[in-house]
Amino acid sequence: MKLPAAFRSSKGLIGAVLVLMILLVAIIAPLVIPPDMATQMDMRARLSPPTLAHPLGTDQLGRDLMYRVLLGAHTSIYIATAAVLMSIVIGLPLGLISGYVGKTTDNILMRLVDTLLAFPALLLALTISAVLGPNLQNTIIAIGIAFTPFLARIIRGEALRVAQMPYVEAARTAGNSDTRLIVRHILPNIMPAVIVQSTISLAFAILAEAGLSFLGLGTQPPDASWGLMIQASRDYLDRAPWTALVPGAAVALTVLGLNMFGDALRDALDPRARKGAT
Amino acid sequence: MSYILNRILSMLLTLFLISAITFAVTNILPGDVAMMIMGTQSNPEALEGLRRSLGLNDPLLVQYWRWISGMLTGDWGTSLVFKEPIGPLILQKMTASAMIVVFSMTIALTCAVPLGVWAAMHPNKWQDTTASSAALLGVSLPDFFWGIMLILLFARWLGWLPSSGFVDPREDFLLAARHALLPSLALGLGLMAHLTRMTRATMTGILNQEFIRVARAKGLGERTVVWNYGLANAVGPVMTVAGLQVGYLFGSIIVIESLFNYTGMGWLTYQALLNRDIPLIQASVFVIAGVVMLANLIVDLLYVLVDPRIRLS
Amino acid sequence: MKRRDFLKTTSALMGGTILYGLGSNSAAAQGEPVSGGTLIWGHSETTQNLDMHQTGTASTGRVLENVHDSIVTVDENLTVIPHLAESFEISEDGLTYTFTLRDDVMFHNGAKMTSADVKYSFERCMNPDTGAVNFEVFNNVASIETPDDLTVIITLDQVNAPFLSRLAENGAGVIMPVDSGDVQGNTPIGCGPFKFVRREFGNEVELEGFADYWGGAPYLDKVIAREITEPTVRLTGLRTGELHMINDIPADRIGEIEDDPDLQVVAWFPLNWDFVNFNHEFEPFKDPKVREAFDYMIDKQVLLEGALWGQGEVTASPSYPTSASYNHDLEQRPQDIEKAKALLQEAGYGPGELSVTFKATTNYPYHIESAQIMLEWFRLAGVEANIEQLTWSDWLSQVWVDKDFEISMMNFFTLWEPDFLYYSLWNTEGAFNYRKISNPTVDELTAKARVTVDPEERAGIYKEVQKVIHDETLDVILWFRNGTIGAQPSVGGLDTIVHPNGSNLNFHKVWLSS
Repeated sequence: MKLPAAFRSSKGLIGAVLVLMILLVAIIAPLVIPPDMATQMDMRARLSPPTLAHPLGTDQLGRDLMYRVLLGAHTSIYIATAAVLMSIVIGLPLGLISGYVGKTTDNILMRLVDTLLAFPALLLALTISAVLGPNLQNTIIAIGIAFTPFLARIIRGEALRVAQMPYVEAARTAGNSDTRLIVRHILPNIMPAVIVQSTISLAFAILAEAGLSFLGLGTQPPDASWGLMIQASRDYLDRAPWTALVPGAAVALTVLGLNMFGDALRDALDPRARKGAT
Repeated sequence: MSYILNRILSMLLTLFLISAITFAVTNILPGDVAMMIMGTQSNPEALEGLRRSLGLNDPLLVQYWRWISGMLTGDWGTSLVFKEPIGPLILQKMTASAMIVVFSMTIALTCAVPLGVWAAMHPNKWQDTTASSAALLGVSLPDFFWGIMLILLFARWLGWLPSSGFVDPREDFLLAARHALLPSLALGLGLMAHLTRMTRATMTGILNQEFIRVARAKGLGERTVVWNYGLANAVGPVMTVAGLQVGYLFGSIIVIESLFNYTGMGWLTYQALLNRDIPLIQASVFVIAGVVMLANLIVDLLYVLVDPRIRLS
Repeated sequence: MKRRDFLKTTSALMGGTILYGLGSNSAAAQGEPVSGGTLIWGHSETTQNLDMHQTGTASTGRVLENVHDSIVTVDENLTVIPHLAESFEISEDGLTYTFTLRDDVMFHNGAKMTSADVKYSFERCMNPDTGAVNFEVFNNVASIETPDDLTVIITLDQVNAPFLSRLAENGAGVIMPVDSGDVQGNTPIGCGPFKFVRREFGNEVELEGFADYWGGAPYLDKVIAREITEPTVRLTGLRTGELHMINDIPADRIGEIEDDPDLQVVAWFPLNWDFVNFNHEFEPFKDPKVREAFDYMIDKQVLLEGALWGQGEVTASPSYPTSASYNHDLEQRPQDIEKAKALLQEAGYGPGELSVTFKATTNYPYHIESAQIMLEWFRLAGVEANIEQLTWSDWLSQVWVDKDFEISMMNFFTLWEPDFLYYSLWNTEGAFNYRKISNPTVDELTAKARVTVDPEERAGIYKEVQKVIHDETLDVILWFRNGTIGAQPSVGGLDTIVHPNGSNLNFHKVWLSS
């Protein structure tokens, strides 16, 4: 693996630092900050601009935005990570089988994937969330399912490419079983593409969670999530713009970090994909 | 020719699958449209009466058959909650959305292509860094966040543009354009950033290729090399990505149209979902998926025209 | 703060009246009414099915108020008065209602209203296949006779005290032209002051002044109701002059608009009322002590301040504040977390042993805010609690129909007719009893009131009902919420716009100065 190469470019380094910082916040914040700091209300300090007592200001119920944005990191990162993991768990075998087995299986699976791809991801996630009812788990499922067809398509392409490589042919003639071929020879070779795609998907998942919560079909109050915070800020925009700016900046920094890191990763791991679409 | 035929046939199959998935998913939606109409004034007997009068008690297969045959014969039914005929309603809302989708695509392409090319011409110089960083920031902000910033800036603080609403362009085109501008910008900024990155990456790849080096060696000016030779080869890939983004745009309009109270397809779909207006959800989702697929097909076909070397399997 | 103090002093005695506004800011509008002009109204909600019989949503009723008229109506004291019927008579035994219709009522389709239209409208509402919201109003109707063009005689098979009052609103009392039922859903026809012209769904509804209106042609040529659901957007539209008036000013911004010399504000009380609901079949809530404990956890005044920026008035009774049945002796329980804990302990729930889910609907964003505030108090009292945010349709199906909830919150627009209010909501058989409440005393009292014709005696019974609701904490009644309108100075006649029920807006006497 040429992973360290990703850190060599300044873009990769900045991205990595950003992502690491936010990951640390997401993990540590819930451990050191009591959860009620994000829900504690102060009716005398509603929509307060940043002050010493509230460094990032407060929201419409007088809740401290700093604590909310810090604790919100956990919710947003957790949902995005779990959703992407889910799309990998479903998409990886689908793509592998489709690409490796080919023929009718490939045809059927890819027809299905193409059909799902015709539904905009957000629309798909929204509908799934409406069917399942909005809560944390269902948000993960909705985003996970909505992202699966993309991943399956990319993995299928990769699997197809790798399966035709001379050394795989050689391994096959040497009498290796299909399972062994897939696990030992194909899987390791498509991992770079999977990692790159996952990083990019993670960025999209953060945005998708924010979008879903913004429409009321994602994370539920009083839990703090960035999308929910932006949604709540909507009615107070012109008198208290910080209520939108604080969570907006958090989303931007995270997605920016992920994108930068993802770009660098792609350059380092998968030079072929540089020309490809995200 | 057989390629085109093939594509169209497979599209029809996909359309059928889309209709089946749409119907299946929408029918497991919880909630009850009769409830929505009556609200908190409803009581069981009144509800039952309304359900009967809306035809909600028929078996599912009957409902599917009624729906699909209606869709094919042009009778798209009536919205249950709003009592409006669905066909004209969707046509009207689609026109509204088409306006912002086309606007935002135009904005995005006219800015992204020159920016991307410019960045690619100066790899790792300040031009590249600036354009790439701006584009990176652009793709990192949620589009509704852009929307909020635009409302604050242009509607609230500067007061130049209306913050919301939709005006029919047939009534007053200028006013309609003013209303469409902010949502289009909100949609277009993210898209622009994305396409800038794409163009830059594609152009960088092309500018490193053999034939460009040959052209340069022949003593052709850099401008001619880049714009005539380089860009000609980048058109295909950039177009493909732009076409794929139609799907992304139709996802984004759900959020953006709600934010701007711009009553197009995205808004309609969201309302239909919230109201559990099953016939309306089915038709909207079906139409959106159909349009996205059509956009992809057109791009594919154009690609074949632009670059005859490529014959996709 | 001054606004709050003002509200406090006026208190619940001021029901149904304009609270403030029409002061110095509106001086420009106090001139003589003029005819003409198109009024652009920023309406807070989207209209739905436009069939007055089928629709139960306040948003649609608010617009249709201008298209339709009911057979009788109420004055500001909620006394039933003639309307399309120029007089009515009730027989001694309370079983026969005779309506004499006005001779000058024209429908928008050019037809003259006769007794046949009344018979058609009522029978359409009664028919279960119509799916009319208010069909139960006619449950005791034995026959509707039309001896001549202007007389309608309705015979009941048993006394139904609220019958006439229920006809005073469009839901049950609306008169539509014969055989117009099929088109009412998207092109309503009535005999109100405005004709329905068109609806561009989700955008706007256009109404045109009806010159032949029996009450005199309205001043306005047209009313365009733009449907703008985003509160801040509505406000911006008013400020930039795109809109002449808006309803439902965002609660936190009212003070700011009041201070704006270029705008006028009308606020009235009450628009609707809110309460917290317990599911009476959820094991812990079967015990009145637990319900009482929750009541003690809630500081109603702070909640009102938090969720509605103080735009309303707390109340222990849901009766219309000026109505005879409002029980002034009841007082809300003050917040007392310790007492709540003690009550829970008595009921067998120690700290952390009770856990509840609060289902609130995003249809009312202030319910979500309220739930978040209450959750903090519940936790202080040692109750584990979390929120489930539901879309309107999910709330309706889960809470209203399936009764699958533990604790929730709802509002009702002022059901000023006490039978409609108390029987529907608290009787075991009540159509709106989604909390599965079954209290023998309430059942007995509400049934008795139905057949009690004497107004004073009836009011007394309802006061008792309220006492039981409060003593047993069947629900926690929170507050009456203010209604608000913001308008340009050019809009006149705003003092006539609010229907006595507090919810509907009538543009008949509204005018625009140039």
